[in-house]
Amino acid sequence: MPGQTRWLPAALLVALLLPAPARSQRTFTISGTVKNAETGEALIGATVVVQELRSVGTLTNAYGFFSLTLPESTYTVVAQYLGFHPTVDTVRLTENRHFDLALSPEPIRVSEVVVSGERLRTNVTSTDMGVKKLAISEVKSVPVLLGERDILKTIQLLPGIESAGEGNTGYYARGGNIDQNLILLDEAPVYNSSHLLGFLSVFNSDAIKDVSVMTGDIPAEYGGRLSSVLDIRTNDGNEKEFGGTGGIGLLASRLTLEGPIVKDRGSFLISGRRTYADLFLKLSSDTTINRASLYFYDLNAKASYRLGDHDRVFLSGYFGRDNFNYPDLFGFDWGNATATLRWNHLFGDQLFANTSLIFSDYRYTNTVGAGTSQYEITSGIQDLNAKLDFEYFPSPRSTVKFGANAIYHTFRPGAVTSGPTSQANDLTLEHRYALESAAYISHELQILPTLKVDYGLRASSFTLLGPGTARTYDATGDLVSTQYYGSGSPIRTYASLEPRIAGTFLLDENSSIKAAYTRTAQYLHLLSNSTTTNPSDLWVPSSNNVPPQHADQYSTGYYRNFADDAYETSVEVYYKSMSDLIDYKNGADLQLNPDVESQLQYGKGWSYGVELLVRKNAGPVHGWLGYTLSKTQEQFAEVNNGNAFPARQDRTHDISLVVMYDFSPTWNFGATWVYNTGNAVTFPSGNYWVDGRLVPYYTERNGYRMPAYHRLDLSVTYNFSTRSNLNFSLYNAYNRANAYAISFRQNRNDPQKTEAVQFTLFPIIPSLTYNFNF
Amino acid sequence: MNSTMLPQRWILPAAVILLTLGLGACQRVVSIDLNKADPHIVIEGVVTDGPGPYTVSITKTGSYFEPSLVFPTVSGATVVLRDNAGTIDTLREAAPGKYVSSRLSGVEGRTYQLSVVAEGKEYDGTSVMPQKIRIDSVYTTVLRAPDGDRGYNIFVKFKDPPTQENYYRVIVHTNMMPPDSITGQRYLLVSDKLLNGNEATYQIRASRNIDPGDTLTVALFSVDRATYEYYSTLRNILSFDRSPTALAPANPNTNLSNGSLGYFAALTADSVHIVLR
Repeated sequence: MPGQTRWLPAALLVALLLPAPARSQRTFTISGTVKNAETGEALIGATVVVQELRSVGTLTNAYGFFSLTLPESTYTVVAQYLGFHPTVDTVRLTENRHFDLALSPEPIRVSEVVVSGERLRTNVTSTDMGVKKLAISEVKSVPVLLGERDILKTIQLLPGIESAGEGNTGYYARGGNIDQNLILLDEAPVYNSSHLLGFLSVFNSDAIKDVSVMTGDIPAEYGGRLSSVLDIRTNDGNEKEFGGTGGIGLLASRLTLEGPIVKDRGSFLISGRRTYADLFLKLSSDTTINRASLYFYDLNAKASYRLGDHDRVFLSGYFGRDNFNYPDLFGFDWGNATATLRWNHLFGDQLFANTSLIFSDYRYTNTVGAGTSQYEITSGIQDLNAKLDFEYFPSPRSTVKFGANAIYHTFRPGAVTSGPTSQANDLTLEHRYALESAAYISHELQILPTLKVDYGLRASSFTLLGPGTARTYDATGDLVSTQYYGSGSPIRTYASLEPRIAGTFLLDENSSIKAAYTRTAQYLHLLSNSTTTNPSDLWVPSSNNVPPQHADQYSTGYYRNFADDAYETSVEVYYKSMSDLIDYKNGADLQLNPDVESQLQYGKGWSYGVELLVRKNAGPVHGWLGYTLSKTQEQFAEVNNGNAFPARQDRTHDISLVVMYDFSPTWNFGATWVYNTGNAVTFPSGNYWVDGRLVPYYTERNGYRMPAYHRLDLSVTYNFSTRSNLNFSLYNAYNRANAYAISFRQNRNDPQKTEAVQFTLFPIIPSLTYNFNF
Repeated sequence: MNSTMLPQRWILPAAVILLTLGLGACQRVVSIDLNKADPHIVIEGVVTDGPGPYTVSITKTGSYFEPSLVFPTVSGATVVLRDNAGTIDTLREAAPGKYVSSRLSGVEGRTYQLSVVAEGKEYDGTSVMPQKIRIDSVYTTVLRAPDGDRGYNIFVKFKDPPTQENYYRVIVHTNMMPPDSITGQRYLLVSDKLLNGNEATYQIRASRNIDPGDTLTVALFSVDRATYEYYSTLRNILSFDRSPTALAPANPNTNLSNGSLGYFAALTADSVHIVLR
């Protein structure tokens, strides 16, 4: 398969480029970068429209770059971006032109309509389906738990994305599991996105520029996970002047410094965050408690430098650690580190290239006991990743993207190191190594003024490599044979062809219908002994025992804008089927088990639903209303007597309402309301007596429902000036006692009686945060 | 090797709870409608290396919220115990649903087989009685719980044999209190995964209903892998040990065929008594 697929992208590319249309006229290219005029920060997804040619325009790419090749003439070029004043330039196109377009930010959304006249109704005209973009500035007044703005919580308010639990940064995309989400920070995969036991994500909003989340049509340049891509891009830093932003909250404080390295050529940004709840523990007189710790910190750093009109380099990194320690009993320490080196190069004016070298590492350490009898469990995963991406803009009607990527994974499933008097023996599970590689090509083509398609193919392969032992198991999970493979020798190879096709048909100026088909493959799997994200969750590679997962998704939708684009609406319908999903055998032992692959079973799943979205971007009152009606089921031969059952994340109804109101330059208000059907859970249907104990009897998997979840959050921001503000948030404003978990126990007074107990995590929680910039 | 530790899967949920209690997390009793499942057969049989007779009991499941100490019993079943030394023992129904042996004896190393024919269906189970591992010693130290309660750390020393795959269950109780009630833990299970061949000291924290002068009994059961798996999957679903974020529960893994609940085990037991000071 890999041999066959290697030439495929190249062949496709040649096929695409050969039938170049006969040109009656000379053409030239306008290219450049759209930037924030105040900071020099490149703007991602800004629209660049040519006023004279209806519906001709483009969007800037992830580096703010655009390229438009047009017949010789004079044009009015309008660049616009939400929250910024548009720029209008007149260009006499008699030669190739390269220039930057600088947009000034609007201090506050005053205008109801961005620009009248020519616009790109991106949501209607693009082929994107199930793709939502959020600019950080857009969501700044969304109320948040404990005053910590968190991008992973904000995206959970979008249709098709469901929270994995109260206060949890984990999420489900269109019925997919938590591990089916590809989370990229400056292109580096982040393997564990949670801080503080899942209540906060590792992403510091101050350092983030742009977020896009894809749950439907996943473009061919992304791969490796089944259900969604979250592409997070960090700020480049101010290349005009030195400045800073920061915040002081109840839970954590943060500080960001940025400035030019060389004015208008290079910039840096460094952003840090730390919690300080543990500082209060130090005040305790108890010598155990005052040595306890519970904190996290993280650091984002980035530098960029322009080497001329055609080259730019970026170096960015993330480092974060959580520490949770109770002296003499246990300690937990975990965190991610990522680093990305990127080089943008422009070949001529139409071919944009980016080369990335990416490092990503996740590790955790669990210490048990104290002193010489202490032992320590460590585990982790590390990636070395090289990536090459090209974007070719032959004409405004046509964009070709192609590239390749290779990741070398190192898995450290677990090791025990013990003190001299510890009774535990030292143990190191074999490291596993794998090479995951992919090549892709996609072509976005405006076939007719009303019809646009984006078709592409991703060819991916995964090889588990030695040194290592391949183990085989019988049906009961007992070891049958082992075979050792030397360094670099392939143990098992898988390959997949992943077509990605999307099309848009414009019904009129304001409305369109779209359809998409996406096939995705996933070679890494997360094993967890909990329904929430845990630092000790274990990533395992596909192997001779563990097959890769695949998904096929079909979606279609109707998109319509109202009132001069003030309101964007959409209805999307999807059906997704997933194969080789993983479940655990009953009583599976996932920790430090060399035979962990024998503890798994494989099944299938499917999800379908309809998602409605009404979004208002412009004006003092903005926000969105999302509603999802969906069904997600799974089927495993050895679960539930082989019958299909609702997945835990099967949520029939899911509603999110987000309203932000910029009342005046001084006062901003925000409110969110969420409602969803409770998780599908397994409760007992009877009792029996065994070994002198009353034991619950289960008849079906996930046959019951948790109570519905709903919650209102409010926030008020008072701006002292453009330089500082005070934010007051109220989480769970009407103090709904939402069920985090329901368990059963014997009644204390009458042990013969069993009762159900509901555990509620968060009551109404006020918080105050002071934010500033200089 | 330290049962004073919370089970590892509990650490983070416990931390979440501690963390959020400060924010006002709370729990309350709620009413939930549960389906009433049809009564299902439950078979429990244990053969030990101690003197017989050994008992096999056959009962049925009852309703979840209206449990009683008396569950429906299954009478008139044919219950046979066999060993690989050629003994065949047809059990006598001594009380409704309670079947007792007359000839079989428990010997380490032998394989035992249970066959039950009840209500027209046949159920079978097999278990191997493991090598007997004796307790070397039991000693205690006084424990002061953070809440001021007095308790004991109980240390149980034994030598794990160098062969892999030894499984143990430890039971502690006093003359005053039954198992579980002094430790608050339902199943104290040990496998030699990490300690194979070592001198093992198993530590148990007993802090409830325990006083100086009580006689403490510590028993060490050696069980086969299937029995260990049954106990550990049983422990997973007993509410005390269930973390709030645990995966979907399922009935324990049994070595009985044909969908019966319960288990059949052949095990060896060694016990030690000491008087607490």
